[in-house]
Amino acid sequence: MSFWEKLGKIDRKIIFLLMAVVIIIPLLSPLNLVGKVGRRTQELFRAIDNLPENSYLLITIDFDPQSMPELYPMYLAILRHAFAKNLRVIVTGLWVTGVGLGEDGLKTVAPEYNKVYGRDYVFLGWKPGITAVVLGMGRSMKETFPTDYYGTSYDSLPIFTKDITYRDIPFMVSLSAGVPGYETWIAYAQSRFGIRIGAGVTAVSAADAYPYLQSGQLTGLLGGMKAAAEYEFLNEKAGFTKAFKPASQLMDSQSLAHLVIMILVIIGNISYFALRRKR
Amino acid sequence: MIPQEIWIWVGAILTLFIFSFLYGDNPFYRFAEHLYVGVSVGYTIAITWHNFFYPDLVVPLFKQGNLFYLIPFLLGILYFSIFFPKISWLIRIPMGFVLGYSSGVAIPAILQANIIKQMQGTFLTPDLLKRPDLILWGIVSLIGVVATVIYFFFSREQKGLTKGMANLGIIFLMIGFGASFGYTVMARVSLLLGRLQFLLRDWLGVIK
Repeated sequence: MSFWEKLGKIDRKIIFLLMAVVIIIPLLSPLNLVGKVGRRTQELFRAIDNLPENSYLLITIDFDPQSMPELYPMYLAILRHAFAKNLRVIVTGLWVTGVGLGEDGLKTVAPEYNKVYGRDYVFLGWKPGITAVVLGMGRSMKETFPTDYYGTSYDSLPIFTKDITYRDIPFMVSLSAGVPGYETWIAYAQSRFGIRIGAGVTAVSAADAYPYLQSGQLTGLLGGMKAAAEYEFLNEKAGFTKAFKPASQLMDSQSLAHLVIMILVIIGNISYFALRRKR
Repeated sequence: MIPQEIWIWVGAILTLFIFSFLYGDNPFYRFAEHLYVGVSVGYTIAITWHNFFYPDLVVPLFKQGNLFYLIPFLLGILYFSIFFPKISWLIRIPMGFVLGYSSGVAIPAILQANIIKQMQGTFLTPDLLKRPDLILWGIVSLIGVVATVIYFFFSREQKGLTKGMANLGIIFLMIGFGASFGYTVMARVSLLLGRLQFLLRDWLGVIK
């Protein structure tokens, strides 16, 4: 077997091992590589930053634990930003398996800012029906969610001074790992009721979201863990938090892993073309 | 109450079980996989009951006596007719209701959001022409969309200008696929990183 043939047939277990080493080393000994904050992340940050104090911010947990490494850090960062700006935060979601993550994020971040449940933020949980829920919130939040996640009636929650609709919510963010997700909110909440929407998506679906930026349907976009790290950086730079930054910690490993993958793709191509020429 | 550390151990061990698939299929991996599916279904049933079925149907219908809720209740019950061959045709009633509602709601919304708005986003509007930072990408987008749509136009043989545009469309498609692939790599590495962060930070405590 020639050198090129050997190169093209590296055992995948060796590649896994190489990846593991490349990823773990920067975790143990950070390289502090410098990244640049993308324009789309800045747009989303500005959209939330410019909201007047006490405005409602709707955050929807349209993901489940499978996408947690990418979307959960975004959720924490947006919550920190919202609480630092004294916004009234409403959290709900279209994915039943995301309910626990939605609750967990609020329980983690709210105490850092001394926020009170029911007054400063509320967790509405999940309802089946997707389109019925999204459209229902445009007509009456109270009818769609007569109680919050914990069974407290809508009228007993001081955060709601009246029966609100999308007209009372100047901005929302969908943290989305697929369908239903930001596209659902655009189709039903925005096209019908005109709410401004920002999105945080998994890297896999980030390329699909760009056309919605071009058309102005999305205001800002966080694509994958890199964007989560960028948002954490902006939060810290603005002095909103000094909390642990889970996405930022992983960016050195992410960069090195990409480098190794690029090298492997190039080696694979060289091997392929060398063997083809031989034949 | 079980201390949180135990759940970290459970999570860590199950993560290692799943990672064992990298070596090859094995009973540990299958155990973790089946457990995940089972827990997800159980969790969904519990949340549906507590967050929806009980407060939105049981309470208003059976505790407050609001008979209006009999309509969705009976429609829901009819789904179970599928288990009884003689009356299984009854499932068509709720299915028809759901399909009719969904289509009626979805068609205009999707048309507006995904076609009309997207077409507007592709146009070179006067507002766009005033912005020197956006105009270049506006022109690139317009050419890219037209060329790609021409590539997918199969009703006539592509030759001459249409052939050239179709070839240009292929280039735009390849750039799009390349961007998607790059993002996919980032996503998959992120998932691995997330688990490693959990193992090294939350479980073993070797990183802070």
